[in-house]
Formats: sequence, structure tokens, C-alpha cells
Amino acid sequence: MRRIAPLILLLLSSAYAPLQAQKYFGETGFAEFESRAPALTFTGVSNNLAGLIDLQTGMVDFYLDLTTLDTGIALRNRHMRDSYLNTRNFPFAEFTGTFQFNEPAVDTLLQPRPVTATGVFTIHGISRDRQVEGTVQFTGDGTGLVLEASFEVALEDHNIDRPRVVFYELSDIQRVRIRIEMEQYDE
Amino acid sequence: MMNKSFGKAVIFAVLTLGLVLPVRAQLERRMVVQDRPVELTFMAPRSINLLTTEMLSRGEMHYAIMHSFGELENGWRNFYGIDNGAVIRFSLEYGIADDFSVFVGRSGLDKVFDTGVRYRFLRQMEDGSMPVSVALTASTGLNSSEYNFLGSTEFSLYDRTSYYAGLPVSRKFSDSVSLQLTPMMARFNRTGFEISIPSDARWYYGIGLSGRYRITGRLALTGQFIWSENDLGDAVRNNVALGLDIETGGHVFQLFFTTTQSLNDAYALAGRNGNPMDGGFRFGFNVNRLFMLHR
Repeated sequence: MRRIAPLILLLLSSAYAPLQAQKYFGETGFAEFESRAPALTFTGVSNNLAGLIDLQTGMVDFYLDLTTLDTGIALRNRHMRDSYLNTRNFPFAEFTGTFQFNEPAVDTLLQPRPVTATGVFTIHGISRDRQVEGTVQFTGDGTGLVLEASFEVALEDHNIDRPRVVFYELSDIQRVRIRIEMEQYDE
Repeated sequence: MMNKSFGKAVIFAVLTLGLVLPVRAQLERRMVVQDRPVELTFMAPRSINLLTTEMLSRGEMHYAIMHSFGELENGWRNFYGIDNGAVIRFSLEYGIADDFSVFVGRSGLDKVFDTGVRYRFLRQMEDGSMPVSVALTASTGLNSSEYNFLGSTEFSLYDRTSYYAGLPVSRKFSDSVSLQLTPMMARFNRTGFEISIPSDARWYYGIGLSGRYRITGRLALTGQFIWSENDLGDAVRNNVALGLDIETGGHVFQLFFTTTQSLNDAYALAGRNGNPMDGGFRFGFNVNRLFMLHR
């Protein structure tokens, strides 16, 4: 048994070390949505986007605490949280899935490389399969990773009610843009 | 007996897996702020006639325009009071701090300019650590009407001044139901037939009851009852109002039927009220809009 113990340690270390080296994590990412309606265009921003990306397995997992979104007007924020997103019951927007590089032969991420992420996007408790286009690249010093992506969210797809009476101030289609810098995850 | 080295190895392996596996799977979802205050007890800083505990944030400007038309009993020829014209009040409120704001307003009834402050010193929390929100409102009004018809009787600055104080205490009982009690008092330095309050009393005391029942995320039924302590018979009736709030993404519209044409707080307490049992209601509406002047 004495001989087996180091072997177990060695196996565990060798099994996880390469994967850990490919993981990147951040929790101060930027997220913005824009609503363009006939009578009103406004944006909401947050700097609390959290994300994990694993270059080796292709796994991506992001979430945003929706209570941190700021549209610039506190009463509108409260209405957004309370009347539209129902953040008491559904506090997060989430995307979990996998990604792949759009071009083969990945050997460097010094330049932005287009990627496509496929997974499940959830907001307001309603999940939808989504495909999201974006780019990833290493940060300038090469120790981190920058991911940028943009996509559209239809409120109707997620049962976020938008009565006809408010159509002129709130668009059904929200344009979402994210940018997050992630550091190499190292236990 | 298990070998000690093997035991240590197993413990190390478990600890290692424990650290690594959660990260390999989904991230643990964590709220940025854990203890959140209860929000939107009411849809706007004012519900029908009365100020609520909904405050502005620092740097926000709240613009409101309020209307109160003629009594419904004027009938269809006067389009149920619409043809009688409206008393209108404009107001601007600015958030100096998140829980402290100043406001100015001007109402057509007695051509009153009013200015005041609001300060919320308790806020209901979602975790129940604070069950209610409490704010203090204080204002003063200046009657700017022309009183030349009084002849030689002087109508001084003192005579034209009135004061108001209210202490709204609100609680959001559920996503649908909110209630607010507002102990309130008003002082008019001069009363008489020449101003639009029906009694000669200088001091007025009462309790306002405001309620909201949310029908959908953006629609809510509202109600208001102002009980007056002043025992003046029919001269000062209690105020009754029923309304509908509509939130549109940028504005909050408030449509209501009320027994008073008064639009500021002091006059809502001391002003004349129609008889709710005898068609004494009148239509009114408020439009609320907020702007961010600076962050």
C-alpha cells in the first residue's frame, strides 16, 4: 500500500495539471444591453460578468448578476429588476456550452481569433439553445485571455412580458455585448 | 489498519478533487450584493396625491405633471368634468443623495408654489431585517394669488404661507400588495373664504392610507384614503381615490378618480372633497418622468 500512495498522487497530478493550465477565469467582465425603441434608446451596463473558459475542453460558462445592471436611472433600474426581469426569482443570466475556433490550426492567440460558442442561454428562468459568435485572444502580457462577443436577445423568447402599451419605449430585441478579461486559473 | 501514507494520499486526493472539480464544472452562482433592499413598493415617488417612500438616487431629476379635472357629476355635456378644465401641478425633484431629495412645485389651485425636502431614513430589506421603509417629508407653500378684491385688507407674506409635514411608513407585503400609512399635518397661516380650503382651522391633522395591488409587472391598481382628524362635519370630508398605474419603460402614468381637486400634500389634507357617495369624484392623471443629470 505504501507504494500505491505516491502513484495515486502522481496520477491525480498528471490528470489535472494540463487542464488547469488551460483554464481562464474572470468576474469583472463588462456586459451591456441596448434597447432601441421608436421613442427611446437606452443601455444598461454591468461590470460584474463572471466567466470560465477552458481552452482544452472547449467548455465555456458565463453568468451575470442581473441586479448589477445599471441603465443610468435608478427608478428604471428598479422597474427593470422588478417588472421585467423578476430578479428576485431569476437573478442571473447564464450561458453554458462549448466553443470552437472558426478556423483550424490554432497555434496562437496573439490576435483575436473568431470562435463560435454553442450552448444554452438562460434568462428570466427560460432557457434557449443559442449560438454566439465572438473572439478570443491572449492579453498583452500573455497571461490572460480576452473574450468579446455580441448577440441579440428577444424578450419574447424568454417570456419577458412587453405589453403593446410600452412598445415605443422598450424594444423587444435587446442587443447584448460582452467583454471579459480572464486570468489563468491556478489552484 | 489502513496504512498512514495511503490515508494521507487519499485525503490529499479528495482535497485536490474538491478544489478542482467545481471549477471544471459550472461556476458557482453568487450574487454581488447579498442583502438587498425591497424595491418598488410603489411605482413612482408619488401615488395619486401622496408622496411615497420611493426615493430618487443621487443626481436624478424627477419631473411630474399632475392634473385634476372637474367633478364627474357635471355630466356628459361637460364630458364628465373634462370641459371644466384642470388644476395642474408641475414639480421637479432632485436627488441630492440616494435617500435625500429636494423639490419645488407649482399648483394652479390658489397659485401655490411649494418647496420641500424628503429624507428616507429606514428602508425595508428583503431578508426581513427591516420590515418597513420610513421617510420624512416637509414642505412649505406660498400662495401667489391676486387678492386686490379684498380691498384694503392686507394679505401679507405670512398670510400666504402654509406648511406640511408627513411621515410615510410603507411595507411591500408581496410582489403584488403594498401599503403605506402617512401621518400628516398641515398649517395654514391664514384661512377664510378667499383660499381653497373649506374651514377656518389653521392646523390640520390626518392619516393617509395608500395601497397598491399589482395586476401585472407594469400595471397596478392604486387606492388612497385620507382621514382627517379635524371634526368639521361636511366641511372637510375624507379623501377617497382609486387609480391605475402604468409603467412604460420610461414613464409612469397614473390615472385616477379622486374626490379632491388639490394636488399638493397640504391641500390634499385640508382641501375640499366631493362626496364619494354622490358623484363627487373627478378624473385626474399624473405623468412621471425621471432623468439622470449626473452620476
